Amino acid sequence: MEEYDLILRSKKGDLESFNQLVEKYQRLVYNLALRMLGQASAAEDASQEAFICAFRGIGRFRGGNFRAWLLRIAANVCRDQLRSMRRHPTTPLDELVSDRQVDRGVQSPEEYALQRELGAEIMNALATLPSEQRLAVILYDIDGLSYEEIAQVMHCSLGTVRSRLSRGRERLRHLLAQRVELSRKEFRLKE
Amino acid sequence: MFKRKTCHKVRRLLSPYLDQRLSLLERVFVEGHLAGCALCGSELESLRATVDLLHRVPMVSVPRSFAVAAMEPKRRVVSFALLSTATAIAVSVLAFFFVGDAFNLFESSVVEEGLKGAAPLPVPTPTPPPPVVFDAEMVGAQATSRWPVWQIETALIGVVVVLAAVTLILWRRRRRARDVRVGST
Repeated sequence: MEEYDLILRSKKGDLESFNQLVEKYQRLVYNLALRMLGQASAAEDASQEAFICAFRGIGRFRGGNFRAWLLRIAANVCRDQLRSMRRHPTTPLDELVSDRQVDRGVQSPEEYALQRELGAEIMNALATLPSEQRLAVILYDIDGLSYEEIAQVMHCSLGTVRSRLSRGRERLRHLLAQRVELSRKEFRLKE
Repeated sequence: MFKRKTCHKVRRLLSPYLDQRLSLLERVFVEGHLAGCALCGSELESLRATVDLLHRVPMVSVPRSFAVAAMEPKRRVVSFALLSTATAIAVSVLAFFFVGDAFNLFESSVVEEGLKGAAPLPVPTPTPPPPVVFDAEMVGAQATSRWPVWQIETALIGVVVVLAAVTLILWRRRRRARDVRVGST
């Protein structure tokens, strides 16, 4: 069934149709939450809450980009979680990116290990960014949204998206300087 | 000094330059500067490598399904409805007291002495008797109240203010939560 039809049915309270939408977007929402919060258990909670909020509020969705609307809810839930985590800091018991979670695809063990290491390193660097810059970087560079979609998700102007993304990347460039240098050398060798 | 300022300006534009989100004028400005500034060129390459790294971040699979189960109605709605009803009732009672007070509904009958001062009517008389005019101040001064109206009104005003404030806070919080969580597009 088309996404449009699923949304219409969900608006009428059809939970089954809504759960088909959940199926389609849960990976995206969970990955956003994981990168925003840095803890698997918190990301699980945030994703579930985001979908519950979305189901309760789907009547107010007035058409347009459903993915951006859903990610906006997820981003807001993550902001709430971050605020509460700041108020009640806890030591995470779970790994950021565990073995069973990373998509292996068709990689060699070496490539897989490198991917995991890179993922963990970037997650650590992302965690040091202010939440708005982090969100802009995740949405554009990792999730592949357009500037326009990000403006919808973050409820801000395109100029603000541009500036947040620029500052976030600049900060990451400094934090990942060593890794970036290696990557540049790799790139030159390939050339 | 001038060059450093230009470099600073160009570096702020490097990220949107990579994404091809600059206007034609900005792009010409950045490309013109990059052609003659090795340092900014190196910054651009470094930024490109960072972005390339970010693109290679692996996606993580979901640990479980986030399908939504059938939900119970929210509890907060009931408490908010109760509170707003209580506020409305308190406002109505207060309005009733004000109106009653304005029309002297809560006062005992007018003291007869207040009317005794009127001139005696001549008997028989061809002319109609002069109309009796109530002196409001005099009547007010001599009337006695059966209810402690002012105390009740003051207490009611307090109750209304508190209830209205709590209802308003709750309403704003609910609206903010709705706007924040479920932004409309």
